Amino acid sequence: MQQPEKQLSEKESLDLIAMMINKAKDSYHNTGVGAIMWGTVIAVCALVKLAELHFNFRLPFDIYWLTILAIVPQIFISIREKKERKVKTYDDIYMDYLWLAFGISIFLMIFITNSVFNVWEPVAEEYNKLSGHTAAFRFREFIAPLFLLLYGIPGFVTGAACKFKPMLWGGLLCWACCIITIYTSIKIDLLLTAISAIFAWLIPGIIMESDYRKAKKGLAATNV
Amino acid sequence: MFKELDPILHSQLRLAVMSLLISVKEAEFTFIREKTNSTAGNLSVQIQKLKDAGYIDVTKQFKDNYPLTVCKITKQGVKAFEEYVGNLQSYFGKG
Repeated sequence: MQQPEKQLSEKESLDLIAMMINKAKDSYHNTGVGAIMWGTVIAVCALVKLAELHFNFRLPFDIYWLTILAIVPQIFISIREKKERKVKTYDDIYMDYLWLAFGISIFLMIFITNSVFNVWEPVAEEYNKLSGHTAAFRFREFIAPLFLLLYGIPGFVTGAACKFKPMLWGGLLCWACCIITIYTSIKIDLLLTAISAIFAWLIPGIIMESDYRKAKKGLAATNV
Repeated sequence: MFKELDPILHSQLRLAVMSLLISVKEAEFTFIREKTNSTAGNLSVQIQKLKDAGYIDVTKQFKDNYPLTVCKITKQGVKAFEEYVGNLQSYFGKG
């Protein structure tokens, strides 16, 4: 494009428009750092919770509050990534809001489940004392499906929007585990939650990050 | 009868710039230069023409002490681009 005012035929114009729109589409690259972070945090939380139950010890706090702390580095990562971007696509905006919505939903879900648990547990204990039987409904065992329901959403949408199959399949795995965990014990629930986090976010995040680095290197090479 | 194509858009580099900007919210000058494979001087001239026509907004900022030019398509630009594509399609009997 060295000639300043090259005139085009109608066919050339349409071809050029299609080519540039495709180039713009290719400019969206998810760095995968957010997915790596969320995958690690959720997997660690679930495995620590599993260890608490299996080895019969309790941390002085709910390990799942770690997910709230994870929002802070997520904000810093988002700001840094925004600074590095040379183009702001509509996909960037949707993805930012999607992951923000996910963070808020996780926070609300922790708040809701803790509130319900605090109300339900004394009622269940009272029932046990009066009836001499253990209450058939154990609220704890239904927490994992609720979270897995949420975990599937960002992976599935990001995977579909970025045409990135590992994350799309990861999202579907979360929903499959969501159904399974309704019928399994709490230990299996936690194990499936950790597996879902690893396969839905951590592994796809690592692949995304590697692809992003390759794309960045390729772009740098063309600028030399 | 075929409508005349907008002369501002009917030029290779300006059309390339507009096609890029219609697909994104905003883009830095360096990004447009990379994607259009153009020279900085030539691109500056064409961007100025698009700006003068009211088709794009150009904002100059500083990033890490370096000047940064960000371009964004305007509503008028979107309308002109859509009309241009519509007119092009009528040439091929699609309009």
